[in-house]
Order: sequence, then structure tokens, then C-alpha cells
Amino acid sequence: MAARKPIFNQQVLVDTTPLPDSVPKVNEVGATSAPLLSASFFIGARCRPYNDDYMQCKTENPGKGEFECLKEGRRVTRCAASVVDDINKHCLDEFRKHWQCLDNNNHQLWQCRKDEWKLNKCVFDNLKLEKTIPEAQGIPVHLRSKQIYAHYPALRDPGQAPFKKAVDAPGAEAPAS
Amino acid sequence: MGEKRIGRSDILDFGSDRNLPAPGFKPAALVLGMGAVCVWGFYKLGQGIREQNADRTVNSELAREKMWSRIHLIPLLQAEEDRDLARRHMADQAREKQLTGDNFKVYNSDRFVRPTYAVTPANTTK
Repeated sequence: MAARKPIFNQQVLVDTTPLPDSVPKVNEVGATSAPLLSASFFIGARCRPYNDDYMQCKTENPGKGEFECLKEGRRVTRCAASVVDDINKHCLDEFRKHWQCLDNNNHQLWQCRKDEWKLNKCVFDNLKLEKTIPEAQGIPVHLRSKQIYAHYPALRDPGQAPFKKAVDAPGAEAPAS
Repeated sequence: MGEKRIGRSDILDFGSDRNLPAPGFKPAALVLGMGAVCVWGFYKLGQGIREQNADRTVNSELAREKMWSRIHLIPLLQAEEDRDLARRHMADQAREKQLTGDNFKVYNSDRFVRPTYAVTPANTTK
């Protein structure tokens, strides 16, 4: 039942009534899809416990999670917002380059590895958050220097002459784990 | 065999009488070469499938990357959606209470039901 989707696409259906004062306020993250995709693994790295708490609460309260899990939901949102804020504070240029690349490439992560490596390095140096894909086979796919589906080789910019490394692939020598 | 006159059939029938090698690759070399090209192609195909963006393949790494990025984001998106639903529901209940003095229990269950219909104001102030 809760899966029925009401479509609030008329102006008069916008309900601006705020939550009652008994519910603590929280600022929404407010990022669009490309920045969220770009920051998703860092959000996962920092906020995994909060996310798991929230999803467990939703599982344990079927049909009532919308109201029972408001507290856990606020924690999830605050944690994710803190990650996005920190990335904005320390790695704004790399972050922007990466999510704009994602926006320009149909959100295909493999087209933007070079920007992603720069962003990952900056985030790891400043925030100690690392992108890991669980249960990866061999070299994790985001660290492979050869992205076989990419339009351009990962080590080369569009228009750049071949055989000149623009950035070192971080995973080229990483051991398979 | 005595002296033989050279005729049209002798010119076309190379190899048999005149011990000349056949032109072009040997058939065995052609078959082997074709096989090598096919093996190389299937090898590249296998590499592509293992890395591709299809979520049905077990080992497709790009699909798993995409799924995990979404897994990390889902609680955030769902929490925002839930807060919005709770806000709308509480506002509806408050309006109903203000208008009719009581909250009529519509469903015979405690589950939250997303509203299908909404009361719209007659004139907007925006």
C-alpha cells in the first residue's frame, strides 16, 4: 500500500507546513544526483553504521517506519551532510571536476576515472575516507588503469597526445586482494 | 609419355603436372589463423562481460560498483522522503483536527498509508 506513488505535480499540492516543534530540525542534504553519486562511497565509508541502524529500524517497523525511524533518519542525513560539507571544504575543485564529468557522461563512472582518482586521493589525505567496493575481484574496478568501456583511455585527456601520463593509476601496481 | 603439346588445360592446371606450389596460404594455415582470431575475440569478449555494466552477470564489476554506490545512498534518500511524508501526514492530521475536531480513523490498521488524494486549498496565497 505504501508503494502507491502520489504525484504532487501541481502547485496547489505543495504543502509548506513545517514539521511540528516536537521534531528536531535537520537540514536536508540538498545535493543533486551527480554530486551524490560522486560522494556516495565516502558517505558509505563514514556513515555505514548510521545507515545500517536506519535500515534495521525500517525493517523492524514495517508500515510504520516513516514515523518510528525519524530519529535514525536525522542521524543518517546529518552524517551524509557532514561528509558533503567536508568534501566541499577540503576538495572542492576535485569534487566539482568529478561530478561535472559524471554529469557530462551520463553518470558513467568509468568515463571519469582520472578525476575520480584525484578526488579519492584528496579525500583520503584530508578526511581519511577511502572508496572500497566490497568483495571486489582482483584489482578493484575503480583502480584499474585500463577502463575498457571508456571512450578515452583513462590516462589520456580527450585531445591529449598519447603516451603521456596525466595521472598515475593508483591501482596499477596494487596487489590483488 | 612422349612429347606433349601445351594446351589450355596445361596453363590452368598448375601444380599437378608442373610441380608448382599452390598460390596463397595453405588451408591449414588459414584455418589456424581463423581459429586464433576467434579465440582472441572470445577472450576479449569474456573480459568485457566481466567488467560490463549488466547486473545479471555475477562477476560484472562495474555493475557492482554502481549497486554499492546506490546502497550507500538509499538510507539518505529514504530518510529525506520519510521526513517529507511524515511532515505532510502530520499537517493533514492537524488540519483535519482543526476542521472536524477529531481524527477519523480511515484504515483498520496502524500502518502508514501514502495518501492517494489530497485536499487542495481553494485559493493559494503564493
